[in-house]
Amino acid sequence: MDPRGKEKQSDDLQIFSAENLQSNMKSIYYSRTFLSIVGGVVAGIWGFTGLMGFVFYFLVMAIASMLFAAKAKFSVRTYFDSWNRIVVDGFLGGLMSFVLFWTFAYDIVHIF
Amino acid sequence: MAEDLVLDTAIRDWVLIPLSVVMVLIGVLRYFVSKLMRSSQLPDAKALKEGQVIIRARNLKSGANFIPSKSFRARRVYFTNEENGLLYVPKDQAQNAQAQMFSDPNMAMDMMKKNLSMLIPQSLTFAWVNFFFSGFVAAKIPFPLTQRFRAMLQNGIDLSTVDVSYVSSRSWYFLNLFGLRGLFSLILGEENAMDDTQRMMQMGGFGFDAARSLAVEKDSLDIIQHDWALPKMEQRAEEVLRKLLR
Repeated sequence: MDPRGKEKQSDDLQIFSAENLQSNMKSIYYSRTFLSIVGGVVAGIWGFTGLMGFVFYFLVMAIASMLFAAKAKFSVRTYFDSWNRIVVDGFLGGLMSFVLFWTFAYDIVHIF
Repeated sequence: MAEDLVLDTAIRDWVLIPLSVVMVLIGVLRYFVSKLMRSSQLPDAKALKEGQVIIRARNLKSGANFIPSKSFRARRVYFTNEENGLLYVPKDQAQNAQAQMFSDPNMAMDMMKKNLSMLIPQSLTFAWVNFFFSGFVAAKIPFPLTQRFRAMLQNGIDLSTVDVSYVSSRSWYFLNLFGLRGLFSLILGEENAMDDTQRMMQMGGFGFDAARSLAVEKDSLDIIQHDWALPKMEQRAEEVLRKLLR
């Protein structure tokens, strides 16, 4: 979760190091994946069904986006080239993992 | 339709959990096996050279605005001119490279290994699941689905009256196959991030086509609009300093 490098940014000219940007995006991807797995287990244990679970997933992802922004001290431009990297990217990427772990935990706890 | 099935806890202990654990372990095993089987052949000098040329061209492209127009043009000509530019590949040679790749047994061998390390464990696991766990209702998805998903989720049970959200063991295997990708990228690191679909794509392209990527680099260099950034630097410096003062 730790953005390792800083990129300089200016109004008309993009000066940033692509490698640092890549590494920042990778850490975001990892934290999102981790969160979707943990969120799935939590949703399963709490016994969410139907729409509730998906709402929970989007809630978790939204909170994650906000935490990323907070981690970047709300100056996203220092670490990424646009807000989309934090808010939008990978929003749906963890859905498959989420559904799997949700189902898994739900079945173990509630079905049998 | 709506009444709940009562599932035996033995199914959970002996089907659901073992299946998932085995899927994870097989994923880990596959990762290490493919790591072991990756042959460390000496890289071909020509391919290496082409790769370096491409990296240099990319660097020129990304740093284009930091050098004067004249220097940029000189470098561009060096890369893209039609006589001896580094990125220019004559038509007949491009064909040759393709043919050479097909005849190179090492290349084909490597591909085979990669594909085998992907295919064998998958088909083995599938056979194992089929053999031991066919016909179980193993799990229940906690959200409702339409009838269309029946073929996908109840693969292996031929009952049309069971609610669609119940999942057969074979389909649980497929769910695991797709859903565990995220977990693998967490526990195995980024090397595993190249997932099966990407590998499939590579198979289609049959390796790295040097001539084509050279041509792509050449085109993108050719269309760059050069705009030297440094003359405006003083203005920017002034702005930054003013901002600091305030």
